[in-house]
Amino acid sequence: MKDKIFGVLQRVGRSFMLPIALLPVAGLLLGIGSSFTNPTTLEAYGLTNIIKEGGLLYTILDIMSKTGSVVFDNLPLLFAMGVAIGMAKKEKEVAALAGAISYLIMNATISTLIASKGGVEAMAPNSTTTALGITTLQMGVFGGIIVGLGVAALHNRFYKIELPQVLSFFGGTRFVPIISSLVYLLVGIAMFFIWPTVQSGIAQLGQLVLNSGYAGTWIYGIIERALIPFGLHHVFYMPFWQTSLGGTAMIDGVLVQGAQNIFFAELASNSTQQFSVAATRFMAGKFPFMIFGLPAAAYAMYKNARPEKKQIVGGLLLSAALTSMLTGITEPLEFTFLFVAPLMYAVHCVLAGLSFMLMHIFNVGVGMTFSGGLIDLTLFGILQGNDKTNWIWIIIVGLVYAVIYYFVFYFLIKKFNFKTPGRELDHEETKLYTRKDVNARKKISTGTDTKNNYSQSALILKGLGGKFNISDIDCCATRLRVTVINAELVNDSLLKESGASGVIHKGSGVQVIYGPQVSVVKSNLEDFMDTPESDDLDILLGDRPHVDTNNTKKSDKDNKGKPSVLCSPLKGKIIPLEEVEDEAFSNKVMGDGIAIEPTEGKLYSPCNGKIETLFDTKHAVTIVSDSGCEILLHIGIDTVELNGKFFKTHVSDGQTVKTGDLLISFDMAGIKKAGYKLTTPMIICNTDMYNSIKPVSGGQTLPKEKLLELK
Amino acid sequence: MKTFEYTIKDNLGIHARPAGMLAKKVKDYQSSISIKKGDKEVSCSKLMALMGLGVKYGDTVTINISGPDEDIAEKEIKTFLETNL
Repeated sequence: MKDKIFGVLQRVGRSFMLPIALLPVAGLLLGIGSSFTNPTTLEAYGLTNIIKEGGLLYTILDIMSKTGSVVFDNLPLLFAMGVAIGMAKKEKEVAALAGAISYLIMNATISTLIASKGGVEAMAPNSTTTALGITTLQMGVFGGIIVGLGVAALHNRFYKIELPQVLSFFGGTRFVPIISSLVYLLVGIAMFFIWPTVQSGIAQLGQLVLNSGYAGTWIYGIIERALIPFGLHHVFYMPFWQTSLGGTAMIDGVLVQGAQNIFFAELASNSTQQFSVAATRFMAGKFPFMIFGLPAAAYAMYKNARPEKKQIVGGLLLSAALTSMLTGITEPLEFTFLFVAPLMYAVHCVLAGLSFMLMHIFNVGVGMTFSGGLIDLTLFGILQGNDKTNWIWIIIVGLVYAVIYYFVFYFLIKKFNFKTPGRELDHEETKLYTRKDVNARKKISTGTDTKNNYSQSALILKGLGGKFNISDIDCCATRLRVTVINAELVNDSLLKESGASGVIHKGSGVQVIYGPQVSVVKSNLEDFMDTPESDDLDILLGDRPHVDTNNTKKSDKDNKGKPSVLCSPLKGKIIPLEEVEDEAFSNKVMGDGIAIEPTEGKLYSPCNGKIETLFDTKHAVTIVSDSGCEILLHIGIDTVELNGKFFKTHVSDGQTVKTGDLLISFDMAGIKKAGYKLTTPMIICNTDMYNSIKPVSGGQTLPKEKLLELK
Repeated sequence: MKTFEYTIKDNLGIHARPAGMLAKKVKDYQSSISIKKGDKEVSCSKLMALMGLGVKYGDTVTINISGPDEDIAEKEIKTFLETNL
């Protein structure tokens, strides 16, 4: 149960990443645009003659400012869509559409109810807002998240639904926006009655946080850092940044809630005298330890590396330190010591908490889009002028932090002999730079480019227990987030060899930390998984003596089939073989397998392989897959008697096919009319070669979807 | 080693179902049993190969059986073919 919650939270957290990834760009536009259209700033920098209202430059800057603002103003919609996309398992684009529609419907419903009650005046003060021009309840990103989560749940349940023939046009994915709209109409009604209570609850909680003062800020900072190893920090800070938990403020006559929203509304406003620290207390604390503290810690690690390793370690630590300083992405650095020295991480958490508190105490009003790097400090601190932000304190505290981090880390490493990078004994696995050596060696030993490109992906895939052990893959800023089928097949040392700085397990959830380049790692991995090579990792990784893991027994290879997964050859309903109305199939005389009741007259290849025999009667075909599986696809029952009528073939004997290639098309109505059943068994002729043949899923299936697992 | 010929009388030839039944049947015996059509000869126990042979109505196939229980196998497989094919 605990693992399951973690899994869900992890997915929620990563589904935030798509909208969040937009914020730095929006922030950049807003930051530059609003800074240089702000009269105070212009005066301070003596630019009043160059940038004038109505002038070209001013208009361009104003456009930048407004386009940045519009993103922040509509975050709930972005979350409704982004979370729906992130949580949907397949056909994500449909979930996005349903998310947008549902968000509009929910707000329109609420709006109508508000009007019927007597308009905004009849509601509690500050409890309403406008979203996309609709007067509605102030729900902040919670509104978007409620929509996103619910729509995704509906989507995952209904995207393959089959409706009765007359309504079949509205079946499948088309049903998702329809059912979502109806559900969110009801949710809208429910929210109208429930949300005011939630609102006052959150407001009270927010008041509590506000009244918690400096100690509260300190605890907030510690928790935020402490959640990083679990990847749950996004889930934690988001409510503070985006909802009234992080405070509310009236800016230029508009009620704004959430620390980040307050900051950016103030940024966009020309009347701001000073940024409210009540909001930035949840953000500003990041700057001192990200720009100064952690890089100093990296320097301490470098100093403690063994002389012969300093050069390599230096390069890696420097890049990790620069990433932290510039962008505020700290994980590459944090994970270099988190796993080898948890104590150091604990100290780091406490210091990070203190940093938040100190920024609060010194009234530092610098916000951020995403994290606390130099870019954000420049845009939202320095450019805004010290009068408004007190940014100078970031530098002062930061410099002190640099000294503290350096000495504390230096002392801890020496005292406890922590094996930070460059301090490992030679036979020990070196955490950061193994991959480089491996690559260098590979370049010499294996010639082809493809192999090099794929080698990291192959290692990762192998480390995750193979393609068929992966349920889904996603990534956040720095980590690959994978749900696996069998967690025991995951091999940490292989993953680390692939360049990961750490691996976190929690039930079936696995997080592999690669740093900011993770999205490339993920894309490469996904591309690789679509290639036939990924079915046979051992060939790609064949020259690696120590790669052998417990899940492949090479000695058995000659008389045992390789584990593989076959995809569905048809669109239709999955039926256990035992239930097929033909004893030759249901008694598994020909072998084990599965059957499908097709809803579309097109048979596709379930794997990459070769057409062995296309029956003259065109109703059946046998395929040998690249992994050696012998498959019989038999369209309908007793359809041999049709002697080819109603069938059309698209391949011929001996032809090589790929998963999803069209093999045979058939006239479903004609066959049915002739009095034959369309149930199509997929039989594994060499069933003896496998220990188990199991369906991956039940219910409806689509071509190319994973269907049968062979082990 | 026992050898006999058989001419298929079933209109549909050795399609998936009879092939499956034959492949299963021959597993009852210790003898190795093969089927030959023209100059192509395959083991009867290999369903895939059996189907690949594409035996049709009127085709004459040669069955080769060799092993400790070849006598009984010959007799029973003949009966099997006559009843089913």
